[in-house]
Amino acid sequence: MIQKAILLLVLILSLNSALHAQKCELVLRGRVLHKENNQPIEAAYVWILESKSGISTDANGNFILRDLCPGKYTLQIQYLGHKEIKQQLTLNAGSSNQTFLMEEEAVDLGGVEVHGHRESVQTTTAVQSLYGEELLQSRGESLGESLKRVAGVTTFSTGNTISKPVIHGMHSNRILILNNGIRLEGQQWGAEHAPEIDPFLAEEITVIKGAETVRFGPEAIGGVILVNPAALPTSKISTTEINLVGSSNGRAGNVSVTHVGGSGKIAGLGYRIQGSSKKAGNIQAPNYFQGNTGMSETSFSGALGYSSKKLGTEAYYSFFRTELGILQDAHTGNLSDLQQIIKNGAPFTQAAFTYSLDNPKQVVAHHLAKLKAHYHLNPSWKLNFQYGFQANHRQEFDRRRGNRNARPSLDLELFTNTLEVFVDHNLKSNWTGSLGVHLIQQANSNVPGTGVTPLIPNYDMFNGGIFLMEKYLKGPLELEGGLRFDYRTVTAARYVGNELQKADLSYQNASAFFGGLYQLSPSLSFTSNLGTAWRPPNVNELFSQGLHHGAAAVEIGDANLNSEKSLKWVNGLTYEGKRSTLELTGYANKIRDYIYLNPTGETFVSLRGTFNVYEYLQADALFYGLDVSGTYSFSDQFNGYAKGSIIRAKNMETERFFPFIPSDRMDWGLSYSFGAKGIKESNRLTVSNLLVSRQNREPNFDLAPAPAGYGLLNVDYAKKIQVAKNELSISVQVSNLLNTEFKEYMNRFRYFTADMGRNFQLKFNYQF
Amino acid sequence: MKNLKIVSLYLLALLAFGFSSCKSEDPEKENDGEVITDVTLKFQELNESNALIGDILSFKASDPQGIEVGKTPAVQSISLTKGKKYQMTIEVSNSIEGEDITQEILEEAEKHQFFFLGQVFDSSFFTIQYADGDGIGLGLKNIVTVSSSTGTNNSSMRVVLRHDLDKKVSGTNPNFSNFVQAGGETDLDITFPVILN
Repeated sequence: MIQKAILLLVLILSLNSALHAQKCELVLRGRVLHKENNQPIEAAYVWILESKSGISTDANGNFILRDLCPGKYTLQIQYLGHKEIKQQLTLNAGSSNQTFLMEEEAVDLGGVEVHGHRESVQTTTAVQSLYGEELLQSRGESLGESLKRVAGVTTFSTGNTISKPVIHGMHSNRILILNNGIRLEGQQWGAEHAPEIDPFLAEEITVIKGAETVRFGPEAIGGVILVNPAALPTSKISTTEINLVGSSNGRAGNVSVTHVGGSGKIAGLGYRIQGSSKKAGNIQAPNYFQGNTGMSETSFSGALGYSSKKLGTEAYYSFFRTELGILQDAHTGNLSDLQQIIKNGAPFTQAAFTYSLDNPKQVVAHHLAKLKAHYHLNPSWKLNFQYGFQANHRQEFDRRRGNRNARPSLDLELFTNTLEVFVDHNLKSNWTGSLGVHLIQQANSNVPGTGVTPLIPNYDMFNGGIFLMEKYLKGPLELEGGLRFDYRTVTAARYVGNELQKADLSYQNASAFFGGLYQLSPSLSFTSNLGTAWRPPNVNELFSQGLHHGAAAVEIGDANLNSEKSLKWVNGLTYEGKRSTLELTGYANKIRDYIYLNPTGETFVSLRGTFNVYEYLQADALFYGLDVSGTYSFSDQFNGYAKGSIIRAKNMETERFFPFIPSDRMDWGLSYSFGAKGIKESNRLTVSNLLVSRQNREPNFDLAPAPAGYGLLNVDYAKKIQVAKNELSISVQVSNLLNTEFKEYMNRFRYFTADMGRNFQLKFNYQF
Repeated sequence: MKNLKIVSLYLLALLAFGFSSCKSEDPEKENDGEVITDVTLKFQELNESNALIGDILSFKASDPQGIEVGKTPAVQSISLTKGKKYQMTIEVSNSIEGEDITQEILEEAEKHQFFFLGQVFDSSFFTIQYADGDGIGLGLKNIVTVSSSTGTNNSSMRVVLRHDLDKKVSGTNPNFSNFVQAGGETDLDITFPVILN
């Protein structure tokens, strides 16, 4: 299975005439390629053990190590899923250039990965990923729920079916989600609009916690989430992965199948298909069912890729459809309804278990197609092209009179085109970088016939951006900086009563970042990144005017809002020792003209009753906080982990707090592994404890005070079984073991219901 | 190389198509059919043998803009005579779209219910019972009895219309003040001033 032979092709070239070789000015240059197809390996880690210096390879697989003294060295190269290369070499004079071929290894998710893993994006901001064992544990959960495993990431949810990821206190339009490299464009402004993506398509989910506007475009104020499928194979293989998940709470079932194959006839041709389906009924809080909280979800994705020496191409398509029930009693007619249910603290309706969905509900479908290509113009320059098309159709159904229940009261179609063309360069000096253009075009239409005046207008948006990024590498030091300029126009039109309202708006902004990474030792690295980001106001913030159905609130937009501008400073310290690991992320984010929904304190009276009036305002805001995560091995069997995050957010003008900022929390646990050593059958029992404190920094106005803090006990038992040559993983998870009744501050439905009670989950994962 | 050129031409054509077809539709005016702009309470006196006599007295609450910021509804005072018995019917309509919502409510009698609350009942000035027929607790048609001895001439009545409620919980009591416990949501919540002569 594990072949011993490591093929090393050593090619030493003297590039300089090395006549006056002085001490410690030697340069080692190299390239790391896949053995199978000679494709470059990006982000392989190259170490010189003696000098304790190292670097990761760039997009072309190249690396440069400088300022080396003449002598004998041990070079170590690591890359996930590949056999480690350890090689002795002697440096005499000038610079040497070598090519290293890495061989794929039968993927053993047990232990190798933790050491070999390098992030899918190279940046000097704090980055954390969910992959392998941890991702396996999260299977069956929504994207938001899965990412709670990353310190500093929480969720902003609407009941237990709709959850949006929150990075450092920011969500919705302040973060970006990339589906296989394409900005996911749905109606993400809405608090109850969950991201239209199936986490089953991912092999790795990466969270970038810094301001990354330069790299990914406007709106990335809080951070970026990359949902990346496995790389397409370039050699002849065929693997299939099946996931089955069953949950007691909601009596949910979830199945996902992924098949990856490579052509044996045409070298470099590979494909991947994946599909999943989920069905769940009413969620149970410890003492009652939450009426109408079932859901069903179907998704599919496929990719086809071809790569040769100079050209790489990929076509990708993904489809996501969900139907979500919304807690019946959370849909209130007026302020007095709302106050009554808040006073009650629980739904009035005595619901039973059912899979069937009633109004209010949402039906959302999302198509995403992408074409991607790169072409190596010459050894140092590469041309990249990426085009994405997205169609999002969102329908929201309310409880209505007459025969209108089958008619959506919100029916939006959103089309988005994205185009990126950029060149990468990887010069023989220490510089690498890229330069390009990024275009986004969007058209939003209300499908007529809802019988409700639309919440947001029809609009066309165009965003053009140019960017430049450069990175300088020298020994353990990595410095990078970037600039970007964006121009955006928005043309909106709608009817208010009989009057046609039109608006033409434009925004422009320059953003920049500068950051560095310093590898203090092989086990310790420090990163620091200072970046600006911006977010133009969203259509709902500009144009909302009227009743937010179900929320008993009248919301008033402001067409004169300015763009939000943020300056975020993120510092990270990563330690990876023999027995312990530690990751610290500290950040401060100052946002000028932060847009928020402010209660005016006024009420509006109609025949239907009274409503609170909210308006969109702007103020300067300061967010700062700390994320900590660490692991410690007491022995081969006993391991412990702890992670936590604290965040502070303040309105700098009123010195008051914003609503829906996550409270302090930590999660810690102990795991015990047992079973015969040596064979691949293992057992692991993990007991963990989530502690969430009460949010004491509350805004001046809230419908109800912040709920009390809570603690939850979770248990996870995982077993791996070797079936012939294949691996079967089975796990039993119990979340909220003690069936504790609690309310989470970040759940908008905390006003109406307790959170989810005890949940038993059984998960199978089989790869063959 | 030639292939590459053809491929890139196709690609360009595809892009041009993608970007040009991406245009929003012209907005269309929506017919907000569900909005209630007018609620009329019609009272007609009943004699000893429960026959309708005399003129119909109409009292209206209206909000011609529907739910819109900055406009408050106009509510007329109900003026009735002490010691008399009335049949009270309710008419609900949408004047913007010219729709009669009364009929919709009647068709969905299972999902709707009116509740009558406020001082006139708390102080026992009024007693009310549903008279929609067939024992359905709906409240589009009711019988209101005005007490002959009220301490004051001025009072108020709150009319609430609930939608999508569980009628097994609410029962057939028009004065059921805990209507929220039956679930559902409020479609109307109007307080009419009442003058008793």
